[in-house]
Amino acid sequence: MDALSLFRMVRPDAALSAYLPAGIQLPPSKTLAPKDLEQLQPAAAPLPSPVARPAETSFADTLSRLVDEVGHKQQAGAAAVNGLLSGQNVPLHQAVIAMEEASVSFQLMVEVRNKLLESYQELMRMQV
Amino acid sequence: MIDALFNQPNYVAAKKLLDATVLRHEAIASNLANLETPNYKRLDVAPAFATSLQQAMNSQDTQRVAGLKPQLAVDAAATAANRDGNTVQLESELMRLNQNSLEHTLETQLISGSLLRLRMAITGRPA
Amino acid sequence: MINLLTGVNSTASALNAERIRMEVVSQNIANANVSNYQDGQPYQRQVVRFETMLNAQAGQSLTGLAPETTQVARVEKDARPPRLIYDPDNPFSDANGCVAVPNVNIHEEMVDLITASRAFEANLAVVKSARNLALQTLAIGKRS
Repeated sequence: MDALSLFRMVRPDAALSAYLPAGIQLPPSKTLAPKDLEQLQPAAAPLPSPVARPAETSFADTLSRLVDEVGHKQQAGAAAVNGLLSGQNVPLHQAVIAMEEASVSFQLMVEVRNKLLESYQELMRMQV
Repeated sequence: MIDALFNQPNYVAAKKLLDATVLRHEAIASNLANLETPNYKRLDVAPAFATSLQQAMNSQDTQRVAGLKPQLAVDAAATAANRDGNTVQLESELMRLNQNSLEHTLETQLISGSLLRLRMAITGRPA
Repeated sequence: MINLLTGVNSTASALNAERIRMEVVSQNIANANVSNYQDGQPYQRQVVRFETMLNAQAGQSLTGLAPETTQVARVEKDARPPRLIYDPDNPFSDANGCVAVPNVNIHEEMVDLITASRAFEANLAVVKSARNLALQTLAIGKRS
């Protein structure tokens, strides 16, 4: 993937910025107008036409879906432990496994967040 | 998305087997508790569970495996050794207890292994 | 109560029942030769009858049939008549010189005692195993 396509994917989006620490704003896309970049790029073969994809979900949608699913997993784990503690005959192994799965899912989400931040910071470090 | 993480066939099968193992332990506890009770018929996990688990695993459909429910049933193959109609035999019951414990160890190891591997894949660090 | 040990209700009630049985056996043995237990009657051997009770509480979503706890249904007197022994010098002998001696057979009692303690130990093994299962379960996903 060349730099032009990568920049095309980065769009300021209200939902995405909600996941970043406060005070950090994504740069508005106007400073990276695609047509300007095209002028900078040396004459090259046209990009191959993209393969027809189904209705494109933005990365922000994917991310919010991830957060929702992790939330559901956490709720399921908490419900299982609740059932165990209140004597509702939830088997011990089901509660333990539910907690572990919730923990692994959460860890996944945290790592995704870390990688996003790292890549954002790397982008910001790049010289224009 | 998250469900895809936990949909490995072996992991799902190990979880289901763990359900059956815990249930079997309850059955064995009940059998040994009623060792001296007249006319008590021994209980075990229904043999239909083993066959349907085998079929579900062969079909490569993890949803099907996850949907199975092991149940307790009276063991039709057990015969009464005494005239009091009790079908529990102490030695074979204790053997099953041992076997069941080992199966439990195996299943918890498999599940732990899967979870720890997932964590390693996520963080890049072991444990 | 938090359900940590599987099947513990069955096991606990069995341990109780077997203990009661051992107490009854030791009472029988202690009174094996008492000709005048109560009201001039000899001691009557007592017998424990077990019965099962469906464990309504074990309604876990996994089970189809509920496991059964055992219970001491009743401690009843053995209906066999006392043995008569010819002993005219005994102060409790009747007109024919026979003394009624309890219908306790020491061999039967010893066998009962051994059976009860064997069942007791088997149930102890079950509890120990249940504890191991719980500890292993709690160790799922733990890094060493």
